[in-house]
Amino acid sequence: MTDPTPPAVEVRNLSKHYGDFVALRDVNVTIAAGEYFVLLGPSGGGKTTLLRTIGGFHKPTKGEILLNGKSVGHLPPDKRPTTMVFQAYALFPHMTVTQNVGYGLKVAGLPKAKIAEKVDYALEQVGLSQFTHRKPHELSGGQQQRVQLARAIVLDRDILLLDEPLAALDAQLRKDMCLELKHLQEKVGITFIHVTHNQEEAMTVADRIALIASGDLVECGNARDIYRAPQKAFTASFVGENNLLRGKVTEANGSSVIVDVAGSKLTVDKRGLAVTDGQEVKLSIRSECVTLDRLNGSDAAADGMSIMGAFDESVYLGLTTSHLVHLPDGTEMVSRVIADSDDSLPDAGASVRLSWKPSDIRLHVN
Amino acid sequence: MASLTNKRTDGGTLTVGTQTSQLLEMLAPWAFRAPLIFMVLFFAIPMAMTVVFSVFERTMFWMEPGFTLFAYENFFFSARLVNFLNSMKYSLISVAICFVFGFPIAVFVRKSIPQVAQHRVVLLFILPFMVSEIIRVFALRPVLQRNGLVNTTLMDLGLIDEPITALIYSHTGVVIGEVLSFLPFIVFSGFLAMEAVPKFIFEVCDDLGVGPWRRFLDVILPLAAPGIFAGSVFIFVNGLGVALLPNILGGAGAVNAGLIATQAITALDFPLAMAVSAIMMTTLMALLWIGHRLFDLTKILTPLS
Amino acid sequence: MNDYDNIWLHKLKWSYLLLVVLTLMTPVIYVMYISFNANGFGANEYAFTMEWYGLIFSDALLIGALRWTLMLALVVTVIAVPMALLAAKYYKAADNKLFPVFLLLAPLFVPPDILGSALLVFFKNLNFAFIWLGDQVGISLFDSWFRLSFLTATIGLIIYTIPYSFVVILITMGRYRPEQTEAARACGANGWRAFWDIEFPQIQAGVFSACAFTIILVFNEYTRTSLLKGGFDTFTTVLISQMLNTGMSGQSYAMSALVSFIAIAIIGSIIILTMLRTESLSRIARAKADPVTS
Repeated sequence: MTDPTPPAVEVRNLSKHYGDFVALRDVNVTIAAGEYFVLLGPSGGGKTTLLRTIGGFHKPTKGEILLNGKSVGHLPPDKRPTTMVFQAYALFPHMTVTQNVGYGLKVAGLPKAKIAEKVDYALEQVGLSQFTHRKPHELSGGQQQRVQLARAIVLDRDILLLDEPLAALDAQLRKDMCLELKHLQEKVGITFIHVTHNQEEAMTVADRIALIASGDLVECGNARDIYRAPQKAFTASFVGENNLLRGKVTEANGSSVIVDVAGSKLTVDKRGLAVTDGQEVKLSIRSECVTLDRLNGSDAAADGMSIMGAFDESVYLGLTTSHLVHLPDGTEMVSRVIADSDDSLPDAGASVRLSWKPSDIRLHVN
Repeated sequence: MASLTNKRTDGGTLTVGTQTSQLLEMLAPWAFRAPLIFMVLFFAIPMAMTVVFSVFERTMFWMEPGFTLFAYENFFFSARLVNFLNSMKYSLISVAICFVFGFPIAVFVRKSIPQVAQHRVVLLFILPFMVSEIIRVFALRPVLQRNGLVNTTLMDLGLIDEPITALIYSHTGVVIGEVLSFLPFIVFSGFLAMEAVPKFIFEVCDDLGVGPWRRFLDVILPLAAPGIFAGSVFIFVNGLGVALLPNILGGAGAVNAGLIATQAITALDFPLAMAVSAIMMTTLMALLWIGHRLFDLTKILTPLS
Repeated sequence: MNDYDNIWLHKLKWSYLLLVVLTLMTPVIYVMYISFNANGFGANEYAFTMEWYGLIFSDALLIGALRWTLMLALVVTVIAVPMALLAAKYYKAADNKLFPVFLLLAPLFVPPDILGSALLVFFKNLNFAFIWLGDQVGISLFDSWFRLSFLTATIGLIIYTIPYSFVVILITMGRYRPEQTEAARACGANGWRAFWDIEFPQIQAGVFSACAFTIILVFNEYTRTSLLKGGFDTFTTVLISQMLNTGMSGQSYAMSALVSFIAIAIIGSIIILTMLRTESLSRIARAKADPVTS
């Protein structure tokens, strides 16, 4: 090995079964030390199971987990270099904020003065210095989660696990807390592994994101790549607001292929994928990359970068407006624009043209 | 394996610590099973053994291994069977009375009393129940007797001229005793059962214009059935099995299974006592099995887990 | 209660509830009333006296029985409540809940005389089997293990009281959030430490109620104790044998009343304690209902 520091977390061929139910299937993932890593995915997809297995709350059925290069499969949660922030209800209700935060240090047997000092520092970092003598039920939801954070970081462990830490908070508070989490991680410099089903939250905090669904690790990459250049069709359907088109390959020569979608021939970059003529493939394109043009009677020339459809309606969403269009085969497409111009909209059923830049459309094979 | 590595690197003290903790880790699951093992050894097995002991041969002061159905003959072909069936009838009457008087209380507590106060109100019913049952039953004598509280009060009020003698030393007396002893249980089990009936049900019913009677039959009864059944079985079986009640309050012919069993023990007829116990256990198991088949009795505890 | 409910109907239901409680209590209250009457039950004149109570405490037999009863109650509580706690923890974690539930709740359904008889014959047989085995092997060490004694009475009463403790503890555990144990583990506490520091303080009300219940149940129990006790006497067995032999005397009324007073005092204090607790719980609920800020 050239790199002297082993990855913070290395998950190898991990499977977790509950009877017949497969919660995780052959998952491999490596998380570097000091990284903010997000496990993103739909509810019940297995992301929390993965996090809790890393934390030692579940035993893997197969495979192993290495923390800082050491296998920890046999260790209980308290013997691992991890600590965890839970979704809610995890503060000890019979203890004050100070006692909650200091509990782990007390268990570790630190002297009282040292505990007090570290607790003060941790509470300062999460901005709760003035609430030290409150009981958890006297705090708001956001403050409770901050106490949990302080309780975790005060332990100076290498890896912090966050299990949907913001799910119980309302939308505005969640946004603020996201940024705070990110800044806190940059400040303390330890590895954060954060589970969420909220993609905005994931995008805000993550260095890298792993998408997990139905027990599989679908895709793993930089936050930006996951959003802009998803490898898998599922990623495209889950992250961002993508249009998914089904089509058949008609020509697969050179670096690009031509796909027949609802009668239109579309040109797509092949991305090195192995495709053959006649193969069923999926195409994805983000709704904000789709431009809607009105057709004035005449059909525009087919250029491989556009498709014809019938206009359905517009949905005003504040910042953006979504124009809904359906293709001849019934597939729904969305074009999202920022401007809410006062231009009169096309009539329902009117023919429109949807077009995009060659780099915005992506090919996916199963 | 961990302890071996430790021995090489860290020396003695840590090894001892790991070994103890490993030992503890191995023992811990068994500590949690200990109560169950205890219950199997000293409850399930003794109960099952009643069947075996019931076919033993009776000796002068004890019994000896053998196989005879004499004890069952003794039970089924004598006045005991008639008494037993009679006590079943009166026990069923007690169940019905307890249900009619007690279950509405459980509904009322769940429906109309604030959540935080509910447990407090139910605790009121533990109050009488916490006084020794035998004292309560004995105390019924001065209440129900010829010159007891009820009769003197009624005569003072001029409602009756002659004391009512049927209140005690009769089947009526036993039923009164059973109702007063077991009514709290239908309140408890009803209260637990009503946990299965969410409060919004009452609002939905009001919204749909469902009257209290239909609401009870169509909604509450099916949802609360497991708890009601468990409470009823409890009262029924105890009505059959608590010897005190007929012993202290009953008259001629008021003999239930519990009394037969204790009388048999006093008469040193142990196989008969075991046969009665076996019959009672069979009755109980059959009832619980039927109940479980019909309603899934584990549901009673779901609100707790 | 809804805003549109008839307030008088509500009050009527309340009075019915209290009337039922009162009816259930009538015999007990009546016995208390008689116990202070110098002339005893059925007399035309009522003269207040504490004389009967004085008689109890000068009765050596009774005082001895009281000592046995308290010891029995203490031993049963010390064994049965931790066992119920372990069983409740096991039940919470178990995949198959039917078996533990059945085993732990079934004693509720077995009438006292049936359980007592079955255990009596079981222990007698076990005792003979142990003696026989001892004779075969040539040691008499096991001979008296299951002779009817304090031990057999204890076992019988543990079986009788465990379901109550189990249910009471399970009810309080229902309010406990298991995430807190996990949080404590994540903080570095081992399983035992997490239980002791975090879970136990939150379920101790249930554990103490279970202890109070067990003590009262053992104190009050007659049938099972008298069948399994062997040589010694408890408060209730003395009381009942007096009642059966000489009929109800003024002293028996006083004894019944005394036992009732103690039990009601204990339950009363539990009710008051839970009232205080619910009061603080509702304060918590009110605090939580406050709008979330920050």
